[in-house]
Formats: sequence, C-alpha cells, structure tokens
Amino acid sequence: MEVKINKENNVTTVGLIGRLDTPASQDVSNELEPIMADASGTIVLDCSEMSYISSSGLRIFLSLRKAAASQGGKIIVKNISDDIRQVFMMTGFLNLFEIE
Amino acid sequence: MAISENIKSAVRKSRGTGLLLVVVAAVTLEATMLVQYFSSQRLLRQEASLRAESELRATRNQILDIVDQAEAAVHNSVWIARWCLDYPDSLAVVARRIVEENPSVMGSTFALVPGYDKNHPLFAPYVCRTDDGSLELKTLATEEYDYPSQEWFTEPLNYGIGYWSEPYIDTGGGDVLMTTYSVPVMDETGRVAAVLTADISLDWLTELVGNVRVYPNAFSVLISREGKIMVSPVAELNMQTSIQEYAPGAKDTAHFNMLADSMLAGKSGNVVLEQRRRERTYVFYAPVEKTGWSMAIVIPDSEIYGEIRRMGLLVTFLMLVGLGMLVFILTTAARNQLKYAEVNEKKERMEHELQIGHDIQMSMIPKTFPPFPERKDIDMAAVLVPAKEVGGDLYDFYIREEKLYFCIGDVSGKGVPASLVMAVTRSLFRTVSSHETSPARIVTLINESMSDMNDNNMFVTFFCGVIDMHTGHMRYCNAGHNPPLIFTNKVAWLPVLPNLPLGVASGVAFQEQEVEIGYDDALFLYTDGVTEAENAAHEQFGEARMEAVLHTRRSALDQLNAMRESISAFVGDAPQSDDLTMLFIHYLNDMQPDATERHLVLHNNIKQIPQLADFIETIADEMHLDQALAMSLNLALEEAVTNVILYAYPEGSDGLVDIEAIMGRNTLRFIISDSGKAFDPTAAPEADVTLGVEDRPIGGLGIFLVRNIMDVVSYERTDGKNILSMTKRL
Repeated sequence: MEVKINKENNVTTVGLIGRLDTPASQDVSNELEPIMADASGTIVLDCSEMSYISSSGLRIFLSLRKAAASQGGKIIVKNISDDIRQVFMMTGFLNLFEIE
Repeated sequence: MAISENIKSAVRKSRGTGLLLVVVAAVTLEATMLVQYFSSQRLLRQEASLRAESELRATRNQILDIVDQAEAAVHNSVWIARWCLDYPDSLAVVARRIVEENPSVMGSTFALVPGYDKNHPLFAPYVCRTDDGSLELKTLATEEYDYPSQEWFTEPLNYGIGYWSEPYIDTGGGDVLMTTYSVPVMDETGRVAAVLTADISLDWLTELVGNVRVYPNAFSVLISREGKIMVSPVAELNMQTSIQEYAPGAKDTAHFNMLADSMLAGKSGNVVLEQRRRERTYVFYAPVEKTGWSMAIVIPDSEIYGEIRRMGLLVTFLMLVGLGMLVFILTTAARNQLKYAEVNEKKERMEHELQIGHDIQMSMIPKTFPPFPERKDIDMAAVLVPAKEVGGDLYDFYIREEKLYFCIGDVSGKGVPASLVMAVTRSLFRTVSSHETSPARIVTLINESMSDMNDNNMFVTFFCGVIDMHTGHMRYCNAGHNPPLIFTNKVAWLPVLPNLPLGVASGVAFQEQEVEIGYDDALFLYTDGVTEAENAAHEQFGEARMEAVLHTRRSALDQLNAMRESISAFVGDAPQSDDLTMLFIHYLNDMQPDATERHLVLHNNIKQIPQLADFIETIADEMHLDQALAMSLNLALEEAVTNVILYAYPEGSDGLVDIEAIMGRNTLRFIISDSGKAFDPTAAPEADVTLGVEDRPIGGLGIFLVRNIMDVVSYERTDGKNILSMTKRL
C-alpha cells in the first residue's frame, strides 16, 4: 500500500494506492497521523487506485472524519470504485462522507 | 353448568303437557268406568228382575197345580155329594173317595149345615190319611170342635163359592201345616145343604218356596191372604206372625207397609227397601191366585251388584295403577328428556371445545410445506392426522444456526389426555432445543421435566435428530420410538439404541448416535398409526406396504401424500384407530465431503493477511466468481480471520488459524477454526450504521460486514476449538 500526500494551499490530497487491508491499515494510520493532528483544512482522499478496503481501513476513514469534524475541517472522498462504494453503502459511510 | 333457559322451559312445558295428559287419561278412564258400571248395574237389575219374576211365576204355577188338583177333586165330587144328601150314611163315602183318588189331598169332610137333616143336627164325617197311608174315618161333629163355626165352613156358605181357608196347623193329624178348600153343596131345591172339603198339606209348600233361591243369599216369603207368614227363612216367624205384625220392626217401614199393602191386595210388582246406608233390598212379589196368597222374592242388592262392585273395585284399582304408571313414565320421560338435553348440550360444548383443541394442537406444529422455500438444500414434509379431534402424536422441526432440529413422538393413549402431554412435549422440545445442540441432551432434559410431573404414568416414544445442514452430519437420540427409515443408495432402518421412552423414569442416561447424511439421502419418520392402520378385516398396513410406497422417489410432500393414499386405499371404510404421523426429510445439500476443499493455515500474525487474499483469489478463479463477489468474500473472511489473529491467543504467543473452504455446487463455505480462547463473534451486538459522525464508534464493523456479506454464519465451540462457519449461496 502506497500513500501519496500532496499539500496545496489549504487542501491536502491523500492518494491511496493498492489494498487497504488490515496490515496495510496499520502503516497508513501511522503515515496519516500528522494530517489527523491538523485537520482544520480540506482533506481529499483520492481512492482512484484503491482496490480494496477492510474494516480497519474504514476505521482510518472514520477517524479522519471525526478529526475534521472536531477541528472544523472537511473530508472529500474521490473516485471510489463500485465495489468499494458497495462497502460504503453497506456500512452507512456514504452518509458520513462527501463523495465526489 | 347452567342449562340454557329455553331447554328448561321446553322441559317445563313438556311436564305441563304430561300433567294434562294424566288428568285427561284419568277423567276418560273414570268416565268410561262409570258408564260401564251404571249400564252393568242396570243390566244386572233387569236380569235380577227377570229372574225373580220368572221364579215367582214358576213357583206360583207349581202351587196352582196342586191347588187346582184339590179344587178339581172337590168340584168333581159335588154332583155325587148332592145325591148323597139324603143319605147321610153315604157322606163318608164321598169324603173317602176324594182322599182316595187324590194323593195330594190329606183329608176330606162332608159337613151338613146344622139342621139340614132332622136326624142329624150336626153331621160331619171326616176321612183322613194316617201316617201309614191307610184311611181313617172320624167325625168332626163334636162339641169341642163346633165345626159350624169354623172358617172352612162359614166362609163358603157366606160367599156361596169355593173357599181356601187360611193355612193352619192341624193339631189333630200331627202338627202339619194345612189348608182346606171348601165348597158349598146345594140340594136340588137350591138350598145350601152342606160343605164339602179337601185338606191339603202345605209341607211341600215350605220346601218349594224355601228352595227358590234366585241368588245364594236371596230368599222367598209366602204370606197368606190375611198376611200370615207361611214360609220364610226365619222358622220362628212361620205361622206365628203376620206381615202386619212384622212391619213396625222392619227397616224402611214406609216402603215395607207399601209392600205389605200391595201383597195383601194381591198385586204384583217390586219394591226397594233401604236397609242401611248404601245397602238395599229388592223385593219382587206376585199373588198366588185362588188361594189369596202372595209370594215375594227378596234379594239384597249386594247379591245383584256384588260382582259388578268387585269388578268396579278391581277396575278402579287397575285404573289407579295405570295412572300411577303413566305418571311414573311421564316423569321419567321428562327427566330423561332433561338429562338428554343436558347431555346433548354438554356433548356439543365438548365437541366445540375439542374442535378448538384440535385447532390449537394443529397450530403447534409446522404445517406450511415446503417449510423452507428459500433453501435448496432441504425438502421436507410432515403430516399429522389425529384419530379423534385431538391426538397424542407430535412432530416438530426448525432450523437454527444451520442445524435442522426435528422430532417425532407418540404419546401413550389417545384423546384429550394424550393431547395435553403432546402439547407439553412439543413445548419442551422447542424450549430445550433452543439452547442445546445435542439430541441426547435435549431428550434427557425433556425426560427430566416430564418424569417430574408425570403423575398419570403417561409416556412418550420420541425420536430427536439434529442435522448439520452443511455437513449432513446427523446426531440423533431415539427414546423408544419406531426407528426411522433412511434412504441412501438403499432403504434401511436407521440403527437405534434401546432407550426408554420419555416420562418413564428420571435420571435415565439417553444414548446419542450419529450418522452421515449424504446428498439426496432421505429420512422417513413415522408413528405406529401408519404401520398399524387397520382395515375392516383387522389386517394391519404393515412395514412391507409402507416400504413399498417409499420405494418410488418423490418430493417429500408427494411421498407423504402417496403414503396417505395407500393407507386410505388399504383401510377403506374402517375408522381410523390411531393417530397417524409422518415426517419426510430429503437432504439436498450438494456441498458434500466429496466437494472440492481448500485449506489455508495462518499464524496469528497480521502480516499473513495478504495470503488470505491470494487464497480467495484462487478459489474465485476456480469457481469463476466475479470480481465484486470475490472482493466481498475476501472482506468477510479477512474480518473473521483478523479477529482470531488479534484476539484469540494471548499476546506474544504463537497460535494457528485454520481456514477451510468447501466449494459446493451452489454454495461456498468457509470454516475458520482456532484453538484460542472461546469467543462467539455471532454474539456481538449489531452495529448501528445509521449513527452520525460523533456517535459512531470506531470499531465493531468487522463482524457486521461478515454478517452482511455471508448468508449463514454460525459458531460452535467443539473440542476446545472455536469453529466459525460462514456460507455464501452462489
């Protein structure tokens, strides 16, 4: 799992590439800690290259969302595949995130 | 227990009708009896009158015969006597001739009027019959006798015709009752010259009249012209008393006087004399001409009506007995009617209640077939036909956590008691099997409950089975029930251990058995109502006929219908004698031990999760599953395995996770097992996916995803292992 973080103005774009399974989630969680610490701006999660997500991946998404909510930030989820959209739908995440 | 009012009033009405009937019957009978009584009385009176009159007539005729003879004897001698007047010595000859020629004449005298013959101022030769039959000549011309003043002499002279004297006792010839007929004899100049007589004895009269007995207690009385009682049953009165003297002492004097007057006046008729209360005497009387006598026949009315009175009493008695019986019959009928009405109402109520009982009983057992329309791995049918409204047979089944729990049972006895035990047994089965998976445990627990409260010594033969729908592994326990038939590549009896039936004794250790059920195998369970169904000739349906029906493979429902038809055809019109219950289980799970299996064993290291992805990918490829399904299967499996890796074993210790994939024709099943601490993920609370960001917990989504992705998830802790089974229908 590869994570690309790109800050531009007040927008932080996080590119998630590969499978966000349980072991990957532990790494990703560590990498995203700084972003979570300062979540007052807009965070775009680019999922165009994310092929899989497990519940631990969903936890990262939810943690980010909570951080943003508490700090006045904003989370935008971009380009999720149909399969992952199914998972989002199943878990009620479609209602929690702004999805583009 | 209140009997409805309309029945009561109907019975009251019928009681009223009954009373009326009794009264009408009584009046009719009484009236009939009275009419008959009075008409009989009239007829009897007529008959008595006829009999009395005819007796009177006959007696009178007999008397007159003798009287006529005497008169004739005298009259026939008058002309000779006239010739003899001038020869007084010949007078005795005339008298003798009269006596000689007439046996009824006892004596005769030829008495000259005093002074008719100058030589014989008094002259009366008398010839009479002596005791030895010879004739004796006497003279009545004695000073003591003074015949010219005697009645027999004066009266004919006074009247100038023949005269019958009053009866008298002849003291001269031996105290004989006599009467004398005397006629005046004129000489040629027409002067009255003499009196010629004939005495007749009246002894025969006493006998004749005394023997007139119209009725046993009736009697006859003969009185003379002057009223002297000549013949009567009372000897002291005879020739001593006259009717006139008797009259003042008689009862009902007024009528007696009338009777006496009529008799003395020579009339005939009848009189009723009141003797005492309700007792009368009928007196029929008629004159005996010439002599001036009168004869009476006296009949007490008890003689006339005695028979009819006895009959009347008998009829009255019979009538009372009849009425009594009528009252009894009507009362009994009314009571029976009431009882019948009560019984009928009770019966109807009981039938109604039994119908409700039937409905309740039927609602306790699954009756919708196919019972699991969404499942392709099982085809089931069952039927329960109670012999009466309610019965003691039972069956039940349901699927819990991919295990089919089923049972069949037969309560000893029939009817309501059996149905109650049936209901209890079925409830216990549901309750106990809801938390027990072992048939032996289920049976043992039901038996303990039933033995504790089984005061009526009722028992239940019972078969309980649990089939793992995934593996076809069946565990079962038979408590004294008929062994089921199992259909594999052949038909055979399922081997069963000889356990006691339920409810016989507590503390029984029931033995469990097991068998593998394969794809397309079937089980047929039944109660003895099937094999013991009897036809009119008392032949039993039997196991051979039962197996013959099962030989043909059909759907479960068709199989049972075919069996019912076969039984009906065999039994014919004979009534169903026992409850009849059948259960058919056709196992159609194609995911069999021979299905393709894949194995993966992981250590409790989260880094090994990617191996799981590869494992799933291989299977998905092999089974040609699409990408989306493969991904969701991966997700569910990862969540379940992660759970084990992270939590089953103590931190830092090494443990394994076994993942088995069974690739069936219609399903894909994963069995995840580990030897870690017991944990049932299916017991975790359901995550609420509708909560907002603030309320939403971070965790808890793993098992939620497993449940949502897989069709069936079940957990089992066996042999120190957690076994989580997850199935996806394809």
